[in-house]
Parts: sequence; C-alpha cells; structure tokens
Amino acid sequence: MSEFDAIVVGAGPAGTSAASKMASSGLNVLLVERGDPPGSKSVSGGILWGRELSNLYPDWEKSAPLERFISNKVTGFLTEDSYVGIDFKTKKFEREKTGYSVLRTRLDGWMAKKAKEAGATVITGITVDGLAWEDKKVVGIRQADDTITSDVVVLAEGANPRVAIDEGLRAPISDKDVAIGIKQVVKLSEQTINERFNLRNGAGLAAEFSLGFLKNGVMAGGFLYTNKDTISAGVVIDIAGLRKDNKTYSFDIMDQFINHPYIAPYLENGQLQEYSAHLVCEGGINYVPKLYGNGYVIAGDSAGLSFSNGMVIQGMNYAIASGISAAKAAVKCKEKGHYGESDLAYYDELMQHSQAIEDMRKFKGITGVTWSPMIHEFLPKFAENVLHDMFYETGEPKKHLFEIAMENLIGSRYDKKKLLLESYRMMRKM
Amino acid sequence: MVLEIVVMVKQVPDSQEVVIDPVTMNLNRSLTRNVTNKADENALEAALSIKDKTPAKITIVSMGPPQTESTMIECLARGADRAVLVSDRAFGGADTYPTGLTVASAISKLEHFDVIIAGEESSDSSTGHVGPGVAEFLGIEQITYCSKIEYSKGHITAERELEDGTEVVRCPVPVLITMLLGSNFPRRQSLRRKIDATKKGIELWNLEKLGLQPEWVGVRGSPTIVRRMQSIKERERAGKRITIETIPEMVKELYEKNILKVKK
Repeated sequence: MSEFDAIVVGAGPAGTSAASKMASSGLNVLLVERGDPPGSKSVSGGILWGRELSNLYPDWEKSAPLERFISNKVTGFLTEDSYVGIDFKTKKFEREKTGYSVLRTRLDGWMAKKAKEAGATVITGITVDGLAWEDKKVVGIRQADDTITSDVVVLAEGANPRVAIDEGLRAPISDKDVAIGIKQVVKLSEQTINERFNLRNGAGLAAEFSLGFLKNGVMAGGFLYTNKDTISAGVVIDIAGLRKDNKTYSFDIMDQFINHPYIAPYLENGQLQEYSAHLVCEGGINYVPKLYGNGYVIAGDSAGLSFSNGMVIQGMNYAIASGISAAKAAVKCKEKGHYGESDLAYYDELMQHSQAIEDMRKFKGITGVTWSPMIHEFLPKFAENVLHDMFYETGEPKKHLFEIAMENLIGSRYDKKKLLLESYRMMRKM
Repeated sequence: MVLEIVVMVKQVPDSQEVVIDPVTMNLNRSLTRNVTNKADENALEAALSIKDKTPAKITIVSMGPPQTESTMIECLARGADRAVLVSDRAFGGADTYPTGLTVASAISKLEHFDVIIAGEESSDSSTGHVGPGVAEFLGIEQITYCSKIEYSKGHITAERELEDGTEVVRCPVPVLITMLLGSNFPRRQSLRRKIDATKKGIELWNLEKLGLQPEWVGVRGSPTIVRRMQSIKERERAGKRITIETIPEMVKELYEKNILKVKK
C-alpha cells in the first residue's frame, strides 16, 4: 500500500494543475517543490496565453493574480540605432481576453494554494533526489536517504528536469534544445507604465524583438511585458552561438538590450526588483520524450512542451493542459486500481490530440526559423536601411520602394536567390 | 536520561531582498519573503550534531507572528522534535528586553531544559541581545559567539573564536550558547519529517499561557524607541567600462581623469 496515490514533483503550472485536479477528484496527493515559496525558482517572462485555467477554476480571471490582459502585441527588430516593429493594438482583446501577463512568484503561489485547498499536501523547500523503483516500476520518490511511496509520480520539474534525466526517462539537454533566458523585473508606478505604453483600464503590452545589433553570430531575442506596476524585460539567447563566441557574455546582451535607445526610456527610473536567469525550452517536437511509463508521467516543460515561432511564444498554457491530462489519466488508473504503463498510456493518448503536441508537430523545424541568421542578422538591418532610405529626404528624385529594397539587397552580402528561397521556406514554417 | 536542548529561532525578511521604503523609511516587508535567520540554522545544526551522539530532544522556541510556523516546520524537517511558537498581538513591537523576557518565560514553561542554543544575532536587527538576555532572565550561565560545541557528561565544551586565537570553555549544564553565523553546515530538510510536521502542526502559546502581564511585553514593555531610520542613498556611478592592460597605464589613466592626485 503506497503512502500517496500520486506524488507530483514541481509546483509550476503543470504540477499545481495536476495536483489540484487529482486532489479534487479524491486522490491522496503530495506536491513537492524545491522553491520556497512556489514560483521563487521560476523565471517565466511571461504571458499566460489561452484559457486552460477555466478548466480548473471557472472564476480564475477574477481570483488568480493576473497582472494585465494583453491588448497590444509588438514584434520587431532592434538595431544599434533603430527600432522597427509591428505594433498591433486591438479593442477586440479587451472584450475577448487572449492572454495575461503574470508574475510567477504570485501565480505559482496561488496555484499551489488552490491545490492545497483541493486537498493536496503541499511541501516546499525540498529538492527530490530521484525516483524509487521496484521491478522496473516507479513506486515513489527518494529524498535524503528515504523513500516516499506513491502509485504514480507526475514529473513536472520544469525546463531543467534533473530527476527525469538522471533516471533515464528523457534525453539529456543539448544546446539546441534550450536557450538561456535572463529577466529583470523593474518597478514603476501603474500610472507611469500606463503613460509610457499608452495603456488604459488594465490593458498590457507584450513585445518581442530580434536583436540585430549583436555580432559574431550570436543570436538573441528581447522581450518587454507590462505587469500591473512592474515591467518584465529580458533576453533569450541561443546557446550554440553564444558558446562559439568567447567575447560575448550573456549578461552583456541583457545590458545592451535594456540600455537600447528605444528600450531604456521605458524602464527609466524604475527600481530593479528581480534579476534572474533560467533555461528556456526550445527543442520542438523532437525534444518531447516518451510521456509516460510504468508508474510515471512527464508534464509541462519537463516534457519539452513549449512553442515559439518568433511571433507567438507559449508554454504555460501547454503546461496547465498537460497537468490536467496527467491528472485525468491518474484518476482513471485509480478507478481501475492499476497504474501500469498501459494504463498510463491514456495520458499519451490525451496529449497526442492536445493543442500542445499538435502545434509542435505542425511547426516541426521552426527553430530553423526562430534561430535563423536571416531573422537575427539580415532582416533587422535590411528593414532599417529600407525604411531609412524611404523616409530620408535627400532632395534627389524619389525612388520606388522596390528600387530601394533591391539596392539594399545588392548592397548586402547576402545572395538574392538564397534569400528569396529562405524567406519562402520561413513563411511556410511560420 | 535524555538531554533536553532548546533552540531559539527567529523568522527574518530575506536579507538579500530587504528594501527600505524611500518615503516612510521603514523596512518594506511586503516585497520580501521570510526565511529562517541564518545564524539560527547554525544553532539548530549545533544541537542536531549533539543529538547525533547523545540521546537528546530538541525543542524549537520562537516568538513571532503566526507565519513563523513555516520556519518552525523547516526546523522540524531538519530534525527538531518539538516546536513552540509564542505568538500574541500583545508581543508586537517588542524590543530586545521584553523579547528576552517572553522567550525566557516560554522556556521556563517547558518541563525541563539542559542546553539552550541561539544564533549570535538576527540578520534584521543585529543586536545580539536576546540570547544573553534569556540567560540572564533564567539566571543561567552563557557562552557567546561559539564556533563549535560538544556535550559530554553534563558539560558543554565550547570553542570561541577570538581575534588572537581560540578560547575553549567548559561549563556544566544548564547553559545558554550563542553560535556564530556560518559556524557549521546546516543539514538538509527531510521530506518525510516535513510532511509529518506539516500535518501535525506546531504548538501555539499566547500571553495567557506564559502568565505575563501585558505591560511587561511588546511595545509597552520596551524601554527603547526608534526615533528615526535613515537610508543611505547610493551614489550614481558613471557606469563606464575601460580596459587597461598594465598597472602603470591604469595609474596614468586615473591621474589624467583627475581621480588620483599627486601630493605637493
């Protein structure tokens, strides 16, 4: 007889969702989190897209610690001197909310509290050492020379899944599977943020940029998200490129971004409240491991469930959805009284038809776009030059846009044909 | 015979996160998370290492608001056996004098004690008064600022770090010890112990239980009053980075920038 029906490792969106759903379905659940309080080890940007939480808490939009709903989405390029962006604002998102900025120290804490209220035992400040095995079945977790037993273990450890890797349940992380994320949280007043970003009535902005000012093949994206009275600003850096260049340090990229002439004014006179770094899951569908086995399932970032095509970046919604699916499978196993591999395959079945896996399958190979030198080197400069030449009044006869573009293309060191092919390939994949 | 050890702990705002509100000059505690005072973790570890060798029972005693429970549960998860939180609105705003009195009263309400161990001081007020104060209120010996302690046959042998060497002191129990910050490596928390502690909860004692008069404790019983707090403004740095290869070049650079001056 196990001590718990289920043990969940990690109290992020995936783990807390799984724990809450299982506990409210009558399972005896233990949720273990190494951070104290939950969320203190998390570094999400971040925007919670989608409405997955309504499956757990119908009133989540009123009760969850949400910062601002996103009504303004910016995607752009930054070069040394310029800012080129698509700035999309819509009243529609005020009516049909599609995403909220969140601070994970608050959101994870709230979700852990909800799991506790549902009946789960929530323990923070404890790092799980590994899994306990018996006859090739996971029978619990190991911690400090002790074993706590359970019928099923839900591994929801996040982007650096030590237990899953050490137990051989997923491949170790390689440079192409993850990026480095660095984030600052800067405190300003709610009113100042509203004025700087032209926001009203709880609306917020989510902005992502490709950083065209970087050199030596280093690639990174920058982001700005408005919270209620803070701004989350940071960078996500491609590890392979960074590793090759021994002159660039990750924190320098962060400094360059927040001191950029068109980013710095947003953050001016703010008080630095947090500075943190974390791995970001970027491996795509090929990085998703087998999601279940004898006595365990893997959910959220641990399972590599994240999506980015440069315009849309998601992960927390997938984590919540996978946590709920893991819980559904565990509840079904509990009813059957059996938690074998074939029983837990139900989780995989649910996941294979989930938005997360379908998105990731459809956008297979997207990392070739998001981390393409075309996006990070060529396009920012090209866009800057074309727009500059178009708007700069020389007193000479004006040129057609096409002429300006062709001139800049010929002036660049890129091959025209290759660029056309590459753009076509990228458009298809995005 | 089981050795009865009392460990005094305090919950403090995480010192790395403390922010002073520029308007009110008070510590802004809403932003900071609460942690166990680091030196108190060393005190607990000193108690646990005695318990490793000698049959002992460790009781955690703390005075603080109800959220101190998380610190007490952490101590139980590391290996303490019992936790008593002394909590009452009447204790609010206490300076070190009534705090010492309150904690001493709580300890005297325990059935028995042989050794009391405290951290050298708390990271949020840094007075180092409460440990010695408790010893005085209880009328027992004290050995302060210890780096290492051992128990054998009714005696504590303690090492005290001095400027010019180490002092070794031996004293019969009952005795109060204060441990230096960083004097040992606190052991990990055990998940099993933490689950048990979370389910069982801790003991809460109030003013009535201690049998103290309201005017002896809290802000009313405090002889000191904080008149003013001042926050030191950080000087704006130029934020420039210069790369210089050799020391003579650096001296030249600093001289030319008028940072280094030649004495006439």
